[in-house]
Amino acid sequence: MTSAGAPPGDSGDDRSGTVTGHGGIVVTDVHRAFGEVRAVDGVDLVARPGAVTALVGPNGSGKTTLLLVLAGLLVPDTGSVRIAGYDPVTENYAARARTGWMPDTFGTWDSLTSREVLTTVAAAYRLPRELGVQRAAELLELVHLTEYADTPAHVLSRGQKQRLGLARALVHDPDVLLLDEPASGLDPRSRVDLRGLLRRLAAEGKTVLVSSHVLAELDEMADDAVFLSRGRTVASESVESASAARRTWRVRALDPEPLAAWLTAAGVPFTVEEDGAALLSLDGDPSAAALLRDAVGAGVPIASIAPSSGALEQAYLALEEERR
Amino acid sequence: MSTDTQTGTGAPAAVPGEIAPRGDWALSWNGVRTVATLELRQRLRSTRWKIALVVWFVVVGGITLLTTGAVGLLSDSPGMDDPRTPLGPLVFGIVVFFVLFLGLLVAPTLSASAINGDRNAGTLATLQVTLLTAAEIVVGKLLAAWAAALAFLVASIPFIAFALVLGGLSVVALLSTLGLLAIMLGVVCAVGLGFSALTTKTSGSAVLTYLVVGGLSIVSVVLFGLTTPLVTVRDEPVRVWAPADTYDGLVEPTGSPQCEWRTEEQWVVHTERTWWLLAVNPFVVVADAAGSPVDDEFMGAADPLSGIRWAVREARSGPADEVDYCFDWYGNPVGDSPVAERVPDSSPVWPWGLGVNLLLGIGGVLVAVRRLRIPHRKLPRGTRVA
Repeated sequence: MTSAGAPPGDSGDDRSGTVTGHGGIVVTDVHRAFGEVRAVDGVDLVARPGAVTALVGPNGSGKTTLLLVLAGLLVPDTGSVRIAGYDPVTENYAARARTGWMPDTFGTWDSLTSREVLTTVAAAYRLPRELGVQRAAELLELVHLTEYADTPAHVLSRGQKQRLGLARALVHDPDVLLLDEPASGLDPRSRVDLRGLLRRLAAEGKTVLVSSHVLAELDEMADDAVFLSRGRTVASESVESASAARRTWRVRALDPEPLAAWLTAAGVPFTVEEDGAALLSLDGDPSAAALLRDAVGAGVPIASIAPSSGALEQAYLALEEERR
Repeated sequence: MSTDTQTGTGAPAAVPGEIAPRGDWALSWNGVRTVATLELRQRLRSTRWKIALVVWFVVVGGITLLTTGAVGLLSDSPGMDDPRTPLGPLVFGIVVFFVLFLGLLVAPTLSASAINGDRNAGTLATLQVTLLTAAEIVVGKLLAAWAAALAFLVASIPFIAFALVLGGLSVVALLSTLGLLAIMLGVVCAVGLGFSALTTKTSGSAVLTYLVVGGLSIVSVVLFGLTTPLVTVRDEPVRVWAPADTYDGLVEPTGSPQCEWRTEEQWVVHTERTWWLLAVNPFVVVADAAGSPVDDEFMGAADPLSGIRWAVREARSGPADEVDYCFDWYGNPVGDSPVAERVPDSSPVWPWGLGVNLLLGIGGVLVAVRRLRIPHRKLPRGTRVA
């Protein structure tokens, strides 16, 4: 799940990102208030080049504000930010040149066609005209909007606008991608495409930071996760370790009776769902494999065994519980 | 950046590894053109715009025809001795003022929503994060709004040229008038842009821009009138050349009076202290720069432009230092008067007004650029970044 796109030399990139300052996103104790509202109130975050980092948190937890700071639009009240080795406050222009930002509100220039939107952005990033045209065609192909290339943007559906927004963020081939809720409004096919695209960008060595509250989606594409709550970082962990953490698994057998009997005999605590499936707590994939092997060995007709929910969701809900 | 062979998202070769930073005030033609083209594309494709141009053409055309008809009727009436008095300047003046009036109404709508409207639509921040500088975004938007305003001016050219054909006008006056009209519209666009960066709601910036336009065009004249008492001195000593006290020619005609210098206390209105209130008026600027030759007498000036120019230059010149009251019973001047003839200042007024207006426009641009610099430290109440 996690190693699909991790490039070789991952750890080396990581080091360069944090130590020599040549890549990735490094956020140290950033605060930002709007009047009385402390939107971001102590965020620490490291996003490695070559990895997809998920920014997870409930509504109003400061994700969008943090991304505005990272995109170089807002000055943090305190704390420091490095984007691809540049400080977006003091070296705004250089940081901007390397950052692709896709906002959560997809404002588009209504009267422009999709192609014109992209060529305009290319010109705004100071790409030569021919290159901008070529780049626009490539990106339209990439996000499957070629057939809408010459229709006005206001005709596009929500999901199509979202894809156009993603293409817009990629026009200047940024080293760092900041995506605010990129999957909202996307159909299943487009979500799969998005996942593949982000994995590929990470494999090219880009730093990808994705915010979302649809956790199942992040599970499949993220390497690392940073949890925000009320403007603070409450946890950072790799998705791998979140998967390895103790969580609830769902085991279903052809016949619930032998399963229940075997689990009781083995001394594993469990609860039974309405359809007869058992929910039990396991600490990671090896335990699940062992359980499966033992159950099959004991002649229990296991039909499926899987985590009852995504790794990030589990971790997130666990955090929520801790806070209560 | 060496990933160009890996996927379709390959690196464009043109983004160099090291990008020379540019400040918020840096301007490049490329950047300005990108923003201006974007703005014009956004506007030109809406049909409202075409309808507005057509309505404008019809209205200005109608006013020109009506004016020409009315003036023609007037000049044919028995009161007018010389039917060959050229109608050009009169028609020209009325049409030019009407175009300026409508232009001042239209120009704020072209720019007063350019920044806060984009902010509300969520498209401003996506421009700000690109390599465009704040100055490029503002100047690009100004150029686009100005170009749109100029389209209205261009739609009026046939009628202004028609006035030219009626005679009595120099091509130079026509060109200078068109030039000043264009600049005035640009100033209003720039002011609107400034307010558009300052306020959250597009209606707010439009109202503020109209207040400035109204202030320059109407309030300035009203203030000039209302401040008259403030610049009136009731007992100012004035040197007059008047008949001696012994002369009783005021009672009956007894030949020529002996005149002498003396000082009298008089009411004097010092409009030379408030003339600038008139000078900043866009209509005065256009009128003062256009029209017939400077040495025209007021009574001879049948067109509004020359009349306004005469009036504002009189106001600037203020009262005379010496007054000649040396008349006999019949009101005829007596002998050689030693009173220096009052020569009104005939140097043009319009550069002053133009200067003030240009400063306002530049102020609007500077405010807008300051407001668009990122990263933002403070956000005005009620605004969002994106």
